[in-house]
Amino acid sequence: MLASSSANQAFYRGAIAVLPLSFACAPWGLLVGSLAIGAGLSPLEGQGLSAIVFAGAAQLVAIGMIKGGASLLSILVTTLLLTSQHLLYAMHMRPAIAPLPGRWRIGLGFLLTDEFFALNSQQVAKGFDRWFALGVGFTFYVAWNLCTLAGIVLGRSIPNLESLGLEFSIAATFVALVTPLVKSLPVVICVAVSLFCSVLLSYWGWQSALVVSGLAGMVAGFTAKCVLEAKP
Amino acid sequence: MIYVLIFAMGAIVFGNRYLFLEPRLPLRLTRRVRDFLAFSVPGMLTAICGPIIFMPGHSLNVSPLNPYILGGVCAVLLMLWTKRVLTSVVLSVCAFYFFRWLI
Repeated sequence: MLASSSANQAFYRGAIAVLPLSFACAPWGLLVGSLAIGAGLSPLEGQGLSAIVFAGAAQLVAIGMIKGGASLLSILVTTLLLTSQHLLYAMHMRPAIAPLPGRWRIGLGFLLTDEFFALNSQQVAKGFDRWFALGVGFTFYVAWNLCTLAGIVLGRSIPNLESLGLEFSIAATFVALVTPLVKSLPVVICVAVSLFCSVLLSYWGWQSALVVSGLAGMVAGFTAKCVLEAKP
Repeated sequence: MIYVLIFAMGAIVFGNRYLFLEPRLPLRLTRRVRDFLAFSVPGMLTAICGPIIFMPGHSLNVSPLNPYILGGVCAVLLMLWTKRVLTSVVLSVCAFYFFRWLI
């Protein structure tokens, strides 16, 4: 009884913790829903993307590619590259999630988004609570799908939803999450390299810009840390 | 056809997310690997922000009058000042729209 009530509490704490991020991602959800309709997908297909794929950036790019008449294979390769940062997230979460029973691994694996990672990654060292993680992931899943639904419904009535600058809320959220982490020189280097590469590689049109830049930043930060620690 | 695409995309994304959560996958994380992975939060989240802020509408804009850059700077300053994520996000989004309207 005691265990289940603390599980409940942890679930709700997770659900509340992810609310700000859910609001921040709402514009993206709206955009994904409305663009799906704009690209000629049926409402059910549009909702299916959010319900089954559940990866905002991949969904947006796939919708753009469907609209542009890209092949199935090219969309799938792009999806693979564009969501490969999740390999890193899973590796980071591995000590906490891999020992859990199968249904927890699969459930939390399915819910492992950028936002899930942003909120749960620091818990790995401090004591990971699976119910807290489930609260974060499940709430975000529901919010994402509700926003997609709203986007599908509103899609037709708001013209040029893309040009409203809604994606700034995502950047603002991640900036706010990263800022307190920047406390040492290696992290400064990591952030600077990642930022520079992400802009440069996106400018060059690399589909893997995101993961390559993230990795470049990580390698730079890690190298700096090793060099600094090696000094007497 | 679209459903084939949706399920295939779903499988790929889930594969990326689940692969390293599988305990039967032989992979041991040494201290150095953990140290490396500690950089994944600032590294990846920053990489997501970069193109949004500096390439609005898919074209490079590094002018100091880019409202995305000004808004991003506000988010950093607000976070340092208030130390509260939600407050900083809401206020910096307001600042962003103010700059967009102004410029």
